[in-house]
Parts: sequence; C-alpha cells; structure tokens
Amino acid sequence: MSVTEQPLTQNKQTLENSSRRSFLKKMGIVGGGLVVGIPLTGCASVKFPNAMDGDLQPNALLQITANNDIYFYLPRSEMGQGVYTGLTTMLAEELDVHPGKIQVKNVGAHEEYANPEYGLQLTGGSNSIRVHFIPLRQMAANVRMVIRQAAAQVLQLPLDQIQTDNGMIVANGKKLPYGDFTKVAAHLSLPEETPLRKKADFKYIGKHSKRLDAVAKSTGSAEFGLDVEFAGLHRAALKRCPVSGGTVKSFDDSKVKSLPGVKAVVSIFNGVAVVADHYYQAKATLPVLDVQWELPETLSDFSSDSTEAGNGKQLFKAALDSDESDNAHKEGNGREALKTSDTVVSGEYWAPYLAHATMEPMNCTAKFTGNKLEIWTGCQNPGVAAKLAAFYGDVAKDDVTVHSTFLGGGFGRRISSDYVAEAVSIAKASGFPVQLIWSREDDTKRDYYRPASMAEFQVGLDKDGNIDSWNVKRSGPNILPYTIDEVTDAMMPGFLPDGMVDWISKAGYGLFDGWTVDPTSVEGLFEDYDANHKSVDHVTVDPGLPVGFWRSVGHSFSGFFKESMMDEVAISQQQDPVTYRLKHLKSNPRLANTLKLAAEKAGWGKPLPEGHYHGVAVHASFLSYVTQIAEVSVNNGQIKVHKVTCVLDCGLAVNPEIVIQQMESGILFGLTAALYGEITVKDGAVVQSNFHDYPILRMNESPDIEVIIVESDEAPTGVGEPGLPPIAGAVGNAIFAATGKRLRSLPFKLS
Amino acid sequence: MISFKLNGQTVNVEAPGDTPLLWVVREHLTMKGTKFGCGMGLCGACSMLIDGVSTRTCIMPVQAVANRHITTIEGLGNPQMMSTLQNAWVEADVPQCGYCQSGQIISATALLSQNNNPSDSDIDIAMSGNICRCGTYPNVKKAIKNAAADLRNGKGRLQAVQVFDPTATASPETQEVQS
Repeated sequence: MSVTEQPLTQNKQTLENSSRRSFLKKMGIVGGGLVVGIPLTGCASVKFPNAMDGDLQPNALLQITANNDIYFYLPRSEMGQGVYTGLTTMLAEELDVHPGKIQVKNVGAHEEYANPEYGLQLTGGSNSIRVHFIPLRQMAANVRMVIRQAAAQVLQLPLDQIQTDNGMIVANGKKLPYGDFTKVAAHLSLPEETPLRKKADFKYIGKHSKRLDAVAKSTGSAEFGLDVEFAGLHRAALKRCPVSGGTVKSFDDSKVKSLPGVKAVVSIFNGVAVVADHYYQAKATLPVLDVQWELPETLSDFSSDSTEAGNGKQLFKAALDSDESDNAHKEGNGREALKTSDTVVSGEYWAPYLAHATMEPMNCTAKFTGNKLEIWTGCQNPGVAAKLAAFYGDVAKDDVTVHSTFLGGGFGRRISSDYVAEAVSIAKASGFPVQLIWSREDDTKRDYYRPASMAEFQVGLDKDGNIDSWNVKRSGPNILPYTIDEVTDAMMPGFLPDGMVDWISKAGYGLFDGWTVDPTSVEGLFEDYDANHKSVDHVTVDPGLPVGFWRSVGHSFSGFFKESMMDEVAISQQQDPVTYRLKHLKSNPRLANTLKLAAEKAGWGKPLPEGHYHGVAVHASFLSYVTQIAEVSVNNGQIKVHKVTCVLDCGLAVNPEIVIQQMESGILFGLTAALYGEITVKDGAVVQSNFHDYPILRMNESPDIEVIIVESDEAPTGVGEPGLPPIAGAVGNAIFAATGKRLRSLPFKLS
Repeated sequence: MISFKLNGQTVNVEAPGDTPLLWVVREHLTMKGTKFGCGMGLCGACSMLIDGVSTRTCIMPVQAVANRHITTIEGLGNPQMMSTLQNAWVEADVPQCGYCQSGQIISATALLSQNNNPSDSDIDIAMSGNICRCGTYPNVKKAIKNAAADLRNGKGRLQAVQVFDPTATASPETQEVQS
C-alpha cells in the first residue's frame, strides 16, 4: 500500500498510480466498475436519445442511426482540457469519419461510463486520452468492421471490396452512408480484435483538428451548469458557517421571510438556505439572515499567520522537526547514507493552501418529481454525485437522473460534489426545484484547497560533488481522507447503520498516522533524479481545512520544492544547473531529452537582453516529461516573467494544438500560484473572498510561451496537469540568478 | 418598468431598479450566453456592450441602462452566422473550458470597433479586465490580431446578426417580459 512496499522498477510513476489504485480498492471506495476497456455488450439500462428503428447501438458510447447521424456519448467530462475533441478524434480515426461529423453528447451517470483505470466515472489524473487510447479505438474499429461486414452481405460482395471513407461505404465505385447498413449490422455479432490503424495511416490523430466545442463556446450557446433553465425553477443562496465543518445551532429568519421574491428559508446539514424567485433576491437576504453556529473543534483554533507555537506555519514546522514520521520510500541505505557524505546541502520549502477559483462558481440544480430526483450539474464525478444526491435526497439510487453540462473549469475542484449535496438538501427541504448558485465569495471560502506543505531536503554529495543520497521529509495534510469522507456516504451499502458509516468514514484519518502514507502527499519529491540512496518521510499535520485535488495534486508543490533544491545543490557545487541536472538524469532519458531540447531552444547559456535571466526546471508527472526555462527580470522588487520555453514528451500527441494549449494553460495556472496564490486562515475562517484578494494572472502579466512537443511513437500520456509543476521552480531559479536571493516560500515575495 | 434595447430589440422589464443587468438578462430574459463570475466587476465574465463600451454588468443597475443599447454575445453572432471575431476564435481554437469567452469576445469587439490595428500593448490594455483561468491569453491575442487583419482587409464585421433569436415569435420591436 505505501510506496515503500512496491519493488523498484524503471517506471516509478506507474507504481505510484497503481499504488493509489490499490489503496482506493483496499479502502473499498472503488465500485464494481470496469478494469480494462469498455465492454462491447449492449446495455439495456442505458437510454439513447433519438433512438430510431435501425440504429446501430453497439454499446453505451456510440450510436449510428439509419440517417447516418453518428452520436458519441462522451464518457469523460469536458472542462477545458479537450476530451470533447480528443476522445472524438480517436473514435473518428478508427470509425473512419471526420471528427466534425460526429455529434458529441455529454452523458449522465452510468457505470458503463466508468473511467477504465479508476472504476468510477471520474475525470481527473490527466488519464483520459491514455486510458481510452486503445479501448475506444478498438471499439470503433470493431464497429467499422461490422458495418463493412453488413455492407458485404447486402451488396453481395467480398469483404475486401468494401472500403470506407468519411462515414461512407465505398464499393463498386459507389459511396453509400454507414446508416444504410446499420439495420443489418445491428444483427451481426461484433468482431473483437479488428486490427487498429498504424501511426503512418492516421488521418486525424496527430494532425491539427479544430476543437469541436469551439463554436458553441464562442457564441455563448454552450450550456454550463449555471445556464440550466426550466419553468418553475427557483434560485437558492446558502449561508454557511464561516468555519468549514460548522453546523447550524439556531437561526432567525424573521427579517428575511418578507423580503422580495423569498419563497422559503430552510436549514440543511451545513447552513441555512434562502429560496427565491431570482438569485439576486436570495443572495440579498443573506446579510440579514441571523444564524448561530456550532463551530467545529479543531479548525476554529487555527490561524495561518499566527506565530504562536502549535499554530500557523509553526504547526507544520514543529511536525517537520519532530521524530514522528512515516517512511514513504527508501532506496539503498536511505538517510543512513548521509553519515558518509562528503557534503550535505539542505533546504526547507513552503507552499500555502490554494483555491481552485474556477471561472464558473460551484452550482447545482435539483428537482424532485415524487420520489424521482433529477440533478443538473457540470462535475468531474457524476457517479458519486448521483449517489450523494440519492443519499441527501433520501431516494433510491436508481431514481436519480444526472444531466451533465460543460464544466466552467474543473482543475480537480469538481471531483467533490458538496454543492450537489447542498442543492438536493435545499430542494428536498423547501419543496421547490432549485438552482443553488455559489457566489465567488462562497467559492473562494469553501473549497477543497490544495494542501499547504512544508518539506525539508538533505542531499548528500560525494567527493566529486555528485548526489549520493536524496532525503526529503514533508509535513502537511493528506487529501485522500477527505475524499473518502465524502464518498463514504455515497458508496456504502444502504443497509449499514449510520454509526457504522460514520466510523468507516472517520477511520480514513487515522489510517495515515502510523502505517501508511498518502501517495499524493509525497509524489514528485524524489523520483526524477539518480541517487544511490533515497529516503522519503512524512508527517501528517492537519489543521482541519478541507483539502482536495488541485491541478497536478502533490506535484503542484513538489515540483517547486524539488527543482529549487536541485538548483541549490548545483549552484553549491559551482556547476551549471542544466549540466548538473543532466548528470543525474541517466536513468530518466525522456526527461533528460526534454531538458537538452529546451536548453537548445531557449538559448541556455547564451546572452539575454540586459537584466534578463534564465531559470530551469524539469519534472515528470502523469507519465509525461516536461522541461521549462523561464526568462525573468527583477526591477525594484517587481518580478516579470518575459518568456517560457516548454518542451514536453507526452508520447503521441493526439491533438497537437490542444497539447500546446494545455502546456500554456498549466504554465499560466502555475504562474498565478507562484506570483500570487495564497489562501490564509483566521480563527478557522478563510480570509480571501474574491479576485481582488485572490488574484488570477491577467493577459498583461502573461509571458510569451513557446511549446515544443517531442516527436514520439510511445502511447499518449497526460497533458492537463504536467505543464504546471515545473514553472514555479523555473521562475524561482531565474529570480536567484537575477538577485542572488533564494526564495523558498510560495508565493514569491522579494520585499 | 424599465425599457432598453437588447441586441436590437426593445425589451421592457419589471425588476427593481438596482437589480444588476446581468441577472435581468440571465434570469428575466433567460439569455444565458453572458456569465456570472465574481459579482464585483473584477473578472469580466459578465461583459456586455453598453452603447459600444465593454461593461461589467454584474454591478450595473438595470435602471442605469434605461433606453440604452445593450449587446450581448448572442447579439454578435450565432453558430450559423458568426462575427469575424467569433470566427477567429474558432479558427485559433481559443476556448478551453469556455466559460469566460463570451466576455473576452465582447471586450475584443469593443477594442476592434475603436482600433482595427491594435498593438500587443493595446490588446493587453483592452483585455486585462477579462480573467481566463484556463490561460487562453496567447490564443486570444492571436485571434484578435487575425480578426483585425480581416477587418482591415474589408473581410469582416464585428456584428454578424442584429437580433438574438430570428425564430422568436414576439414582434421584432417589442418583447414584454414579466419578472
């Protein structure tokens, strides 16, 4: 279960991922989902819209009608990362249809749409293209084959005289739409192992094809969760305890009930909701709604800027300095090897809590019709959302229908479904169909934050100044207990008594004290560089602020920590940061290759404009390899990032343009964190509230970005997250080059 | 009752005068192309053109726009007939999650209506009020430049449609809307 228990192999990331999966399995939160591929069996319980006699519906993902309309039911959530186009491109390739001809539909919740790697209908972990790359294409190839077989039968021709071209059967010099043969094809048994196209024969994969959602998103016609509308829909605003986890002790709605538009005031599990005709009416009532709160135990005592011992950053520091740690990973003699080091270079790093700040605030629409419940939301986890809705709505799981929309940003925030639980509770308590809208303030103050983290490195060098041992210890909260806590309600069989569910749910916290380490707490701190000895230790310290999956997860802080430390080590030995890194990347050739290419493209070591300095960082995550070189100047304490050169090896790039965009996106997301991002806490309440005190990088602050994709025949790997982890390190290292100041805390502050 | 021109149509709305224009358009008129992002005029997701100026409508009281001309994203074009900027957006693959893009296109429209040959710094100034969390800025900039070139070559228009919904049954001049 811990990373330690796994034997070492060359591909350590695969190990981490499998370790995470086995952990989830052991925790019993992986449902009975699919392990490999998508089944090709029909599924009677999946309802296809527009179904017509003569349709070919080989599975829950694809439908070809007799009119030759081709529908693809998108199993992953589109949140900007490009699966809407990417998965469709893969399907189109083997179906031999232009991607633009395929009509893509967002799907509700159903086990047929489970992520093949997680067994849950989850979009996250940058795995969508990778895990669907073979199964989706295989399914499409089989379907194309069965249509050819049907055409051979109908046209009385041998199969080898039946070819295809862009959704048409080509035979005898004629072109006939696939739809002409779907009725016959539907009665043939689907072949299973049709050969897939070779890379040289690809028509769509690896080529530039337009984003299929760009027209809708450029004309205001794409539907997001917040855009849901129907007759009788009311709007709700929710007043929550300033401290997360607080509950309602009592409330007085006498000043609220008579206000314009107000239809109901209801108390739910975490606050008091006002239901009104319009959102602005509901929201306007909250300041005069009087609620007394029952505060949660631990978080209320926490202030992140406090200098008292046992509080604020001191809490993390004390944990780091304690002897209470769990070993997460050991190679060679681990920390013991420090005793024989010629030199030891140390560094202590800090990264704060961060909010996701998706542009579309959290929201969910819920409507009861008798015992049936419908919800509308854009989320990364519709299966869990459905089960949470059933739990909070007190209806059978089969009586919940999920309508999925586009997501106005995800970045891991919409893996959690807290807003679904709230909307369903409000609809149930008030009797109205409601759309719960979070204000920006709600969204900033009630997140599952990127966990604050502190880490100390001790790097032992041999007499030649090369790394002999790499030792790191991290303190901070773990993500998985919060995830378990949320999904336990949803996933536990209904017959378990509540007390039992509570016990299992809370047990998650204890699990990390003493006998295992959450892989997301230490990932990225130690894997990339060669060293004879390694040790990774962990101390859990958790003030109680909810934490969750934030774009690139543990790598979001470990990339900065590790790459700043590596720079410190190289510089302590008066060695060039690129050369020194390359010396220690002999077992990591793909990462080394991105570094060599980036140094060449950015002109590393060559003269830069007056006052400009380069900083470099490398990081492998989600099975992809990235180097970034930042060109930075510092004037009067102002940090300006002029240019970022980014080289990525993600295997085969299915949609190169989207891959480039995802690198740009990760870089700008990471730059916001490096320059501005910080969530602080006062007496348990989050201090920041909106974009004035939680700023997001704007166009005028954004650098030029050049992205180079390494040509590769390897299978595709992640792109949504891997662009983020190196950027803070690259900028920090450039700041050091410019000023001689080593900034070991995020966000960067020079004064 | 407050009356204003929305995408070429006169609309009459029954809503308190201090109601933000954004919510009047989204909830009373059920036009959803313009988005809610921050409620403080900080992010630009709610941008509409008011007499041609890109304006944050989440903080603009509806009474302040009486008798004025409002243009939303739907008033610039639709999937069948897109404006030059919308076309440029699609050609440059600008949108990622897409949520902020209505506001981005509105601000870009205001810029190009004043300046069909903007420099990088003109674009930065005009667009820095619109936050994109996905970081589409490089492609936004590219699309604006491409659209500007089309406009200079006489190959484009900033508004492809005059009326939001050509199939609307209400008379084209007046649409009564109740709160």
